[in-house]
Amino acid sequence: MRTTARAIVPIILVVSISLFVEGHNLPGGGFIGGVLTTTAFAIIYVTFGLDFLERGVFGRDPDAELRPTRERVVDVYRRVFAVGLAIAVTSGLAPLVLGYPFLSQSFVVLEGVPLYDHLEVASALAFDFGVYCVVVGGLLTILSVVGAE
Amino acid sequence: MSPNLSIVLLAVGLPFVAAVVTPFLFRVLGEHTGYAGALVALTTFVLLGSQFGADGTVALSWIPTLEVALRFTVDGWALLFALFASGIGVLIFLYSPAYMHGESGLIRYYAALLTFMGSVVGVALAADLIALFLFWELTSLSSFVLIGFYTADDSSQYAARMSMLVTVGGGLFLLVGLLLLASVAGDVLGGSAFDLAAILANADEMQAALRDRGLFVPVLAMIAVGAATKSAQVPVHFWLPNAMAAPTPVSAFLHSATMVKVGVYLLGRLRPLLVSHEWTLLFATLGLATMTICAILAVAATDIKELLAYSTASHLGLMVAGFGFASAVGAEAGVFHLFNHALFKAALFLVAGIVAHEAGTRRIDDLGGLRHDLPVTAAVTTVAALSMAGIPPFNGFYSKELLFEATVEAAHELGTIGWLYPAVAAFASIFTVLYSLRFLGLFFGSRPDELGDVHRPPVTMLLPPALLAAVAAVVSVDPELAVRTIVQSAVDVTATEAHEMHVGLPTSLSPAVGMSAVAIGVGAAAYPSYDRLHRGVRSIPAAVPPIGANWWYDAVVGGLDGASTRVANRVHDGHLRTYATWTFTTTCVLALAGFAAAHVAIPTTVALDVSLAIALVLLVAVVATLAVAIAPTHVTGVLTLSILGFMVAIVYILASAPDLALTQLVVETLVLLIFLLVIEELPTYPGGELATPTVGRDAAVSALVGVTAFLTIVLTTDARPEGATSSARYYVQNAVDEGGGTNVVNVILVDFRGFDTMGELIVVSIAAISVLTLLVMRSRGESE
Repeated sequence: MRTTARAIVPIILVVSISLFVEGHNLPGGGFIGGVLTTTAFAIIYVTFGLDFLERGVFGRDPDAELRPTRERVVDVYRRVFAVGLAIAVTSGLAPLVLGYPFLSQSFVVLEGVPLYDHLEVASALAFDFGVYCVVVGGLLTILSVVGAE
Repeated sequence: MSPNLSIVLLAVGLPFVAAVVTPFLFRVLGEHTGYAGALVALTTFVLLGSQFGADGTVALSWIPTLEVALRFTVDGWALLFALFASGIGVLIFLYSPAYMHGESGLIRYYAALLTFMGSVVGVALAADLIALFLFWELTSLSSFVLIGFYTADDSSQYAARMSMLVTVGGGLFLLVGLLLLASVAGDVLGGSAFDLAAILANADEMQAALRDRGLFVPVLAMIAVGAATKSAQVPVHFWLPNAMAAPTPVSAFLHSATMVKVGVYLLGRLRPLLVSHEWTLLFATLGLATMTICAILAVAATDIKELLAYSTASHLGLMVAGFGFASAVGAEAGVFHLFNHALFKAALFLVAGIVAHEAGTRRIDDLGGLRHDLPVTAAVTTVAALSMAGIPPFNGFYSKELLFEATVEAAHELGTIGWLYPAVAAFASIFTVLYSLRFLGLFFGSRPDELGDVHRPPVTMLLPPALLAAVAAVVSVDPELAVRTIVQSAVDVTATEAHEMHVGLPTSLSPAVGMSAVAIGVGAAAYPSYDRLHRGVRSIPAAVPPIGANWWYDAVVGGLDGASTRVANRVHDGHLRTYATWTFTTTCVLALAGFAAAHVAIPTTVALDVSLAIALVLLVAVVATLAVAIAPTHVTGVLTLSILGFMVAIVYILASAPDLALTQLVVETLVLLIFLLVIEELPTYPGGELATPTVGRDAAVSALVGVTAFLTIVLTTDARPEGATSSARYYVQNAVDEGGGTNVVNVILVDFRGFDTMGELIVVSIAAISVLTLLVMRSRGESE
C-alpha cells in the first residue's frame, strides 16, 4: 500500500494541476483539480497517518503536546481556504475597479511562449485558482479534523 | 419650506452611528459615556429643530426594484414626536451616569438607548411602510435589551421576554396590515405601493378602495392589534408594568415618554386614512376601557414604578380614545395629551428613580414625608402629579378637558348609549385623581420611622425632571403658547378637517367642566379611604386568577413551552437515523405538496430511447443498489455504494459529458476514501438485527424518497423544451469569444455564472468552518 501510494500520489498531484490549468479549454477546472488534490492528500493520510504529512510536507516536527491536527495542520488548511476565498473575491472585485461589472472576466493570448507556443492567459484563471484553493482547503480541513476524531 | 434630505438623514442616522461606536467611546470616557450620548441626542434635537416649520416628503431610493425607498415626511406631528424622543433623550442621557453609577454592562445600555432613540426618530419621520415597520421593530428590540438589562435577574429576563413576545407579536399583525394596505395602494395609486405619504395624500380614494375589496376591517383590525400591543392597551397592557424591571431612566424614556407612544403615534398618523364609524367604535371603546381598568389597577399598585406604569397605560388609553373620536376635538385631545403626558410622566419616572436611588426602596407603604429630605424633588412632583391628576390650571387638565368635550360630542351623535363614553371617562378620571394624590403623598404627611437616611440627589439627576416640570409649568400658565408652537400643526396632520384649536381655563359651565369637577371632587373626597380601595382592588385578582391578563400569558406561554419541548425531544433524539427520517420525509412531502398545489400534469408517456450500453450500466447500478441494502457490514456497503457512483460516471461519459464524469469519478473516489477512513468509528447496529417496525419505517421513507426523486426528474425533464435552449445556445456561441475558453462548462462556471460559483465557494468555506467549530466545541466540552 505504501509503495503504491508513493508511486501514485505524485502522479495524482500532477494530473490535478494539469486539470486545473487546462480547465479553460479541455475538461477540468478548479473544482475538479481541487478535489483530486484532496484525494492525493487523503491517500497519504490513510497510508502514512497525520504526522507524516506534517513532517514530510510542511517540514515541521509534530509537537506531541498539541492535540493532533486541531492546532497544527488544520491551521495551514484554514489559511488555504481563506486565501482562496480572498483570491476569488479579489478577482471579482478587480474588474469593478476597472469599471466593469462584478466578476467580469477577460483573457489575453500570448504567442511564442516557450514550450507551449500558444498560451491564453484568462483572468478567469485567477478566479479558478481561488476555487481551487477553497476546495482544497475546505475539504482538507474537514477531512483532517474528522479523521483525527 | 420643504425639508432637507441630508439633515433628516443625519438626524435619523446619527444615533445609530453613535451606537456603533459606543464601545470605543466607553473605552475612552468610561461612565461618562452618558454625557456623550446626551451630546448626540442634543445634536439630533437641534438638527430636527432646524427643520421646524418644514412640511413635505424627501426620499432616498433604497430597493428600487421593489419601489422601497427611505422616504421621510417632516410635518408637525412627526416633528412633535421626534423632538420629544430626542429632547427627552438628552435628559435621560444626562440622568443616566449618576443613576447607573457602578453598574456593569453600560456599553450595552448606552448602545441600546442610542439605537432606540434613532429608531423612534425613524418611526416618527418614516413615510414608507417598510421603513416604518423596520424602525417599529427596532424599538421593540432595543426595549427587549434594555428591560433585560439585569441579566442575572430572573424577573428581569421574564419581563424582557414578555415584552418581546407581546410587542413583536403585535408587530407581526401590523406587518400584515401594512402589506394589505400596500397591496391595495399598489392598485389605486399605481407604482409606489409602500409610499405612506402618497397613501395619506389620497386618503379618501384609499378608504373607498379598501372598502370595495372588503379589506377595510381587516386592515383596521391588524393595525389596531399592532398599535394596542405597543401602546399597552387592554387586554395586552400587562407587559408594561412588568417592563418596570428595567433601570428607571429606561422606564422614563421607553415606557412612558416614547416607545409606548409609538402605537398612539401610528394611530394619529393613519387617522385621516382610516377614520370612520368602525374606527371610533374600536378605538374609543378600547381607549376608554384601558383608561379605566389601568387607572383602577394603578390604585392597587404597591410599588411606585408599578403605579406609574399602570398610570401610563391608563393615559395611553386616554390618547387612543381621543384619536378614536372622529371629531377634531378628539385629535386635539390625542395630540395635546401626548405632549403633556410626555412632560409630566417622564418627570415622575425620573422622580421615582431619585426616590428609589436615595431612599433605597420603592414600596409605597414604606415612603412618606420626603419633602424634608428632597425639597426640589417635592416641588417637581407637585407640578407633575397635579398635572397628571388633571387639576386646573396644570397642563394635564387642558388635554383631559378636550377628551371630555370629545366624549360629550360623540354622545350627542350616538344617542343614549353614547353617554356611556363620558360616564366612563369621568369614572376613570376619579381613579386618576386618586393615584396621583397618592404619589404626591409620598412627599407629604408623616415620615415613617423605618425610613433610613435619604441623601440629596446629584444635580445631574435633579436637573432633567426639574426641566421637564418647568416646561410643564410654562405650558400650564400659557397653554396657547404650546398650541401655537407645535401642537396646532400636529393636530392639522392627524385631523380630517381643519380646526383652529383653543385651550384655556373654562369661563362658563359646560358638560366637560362638570365632568372635571365631578372627577376631582369625588377623587378628593374618596382619598381618605384610599387604603380600603387599594386592598379591595388587590383582593380581586387574588381570588379569581383568570381575571388577570398575566395569568393568561403564563398559561399560554407555559403551554407552548411544554409542547415545543415535547416536539423537540421527539424530532431531535440524537440518533442520526431519526434526523434522516424527519428530514427526508419533510422534504419529500413538501416537494410533493408543491407539485400538487401547482397542479402539474404527470406525463403518462415516458420516451425510452436509451442505448444498450446505458441500459446495461444502469442495470449494474440497480443491482449495486440492491446489494447496498442487504450488505452485511459497513465496508461492503460502502464499496457496493461506490459501484453505483462509478456506474453513474459511466453514464455521464456515454452521454458525452466529460466534465461531469470527471467530477463524479474524482468525488466518488474521495468519498470512498473518507468512508474508509472513518468506517472503523461507525457503531454497528445496536442489538444486531433491526426490529421489523423500524425496517418497515425505513422502507417506507426510502420508497417515498424514491418516488419523489423519480417524479421530480420526470417532471423537470418533461418540462424542458426540445433541443438546445436559447441560453444554452448563447453560452456555446459566446464561450470562445467572450470567455476565451473552449470548455463551455468551465467558462460558464468561472465567467458567465461566476456569481453562482462564488456563492458555492462561500458554502464550502462555511461547511468547513462549521465542521471545525462543531468538533472543536465538542472536544472542548469534553475536556473542561
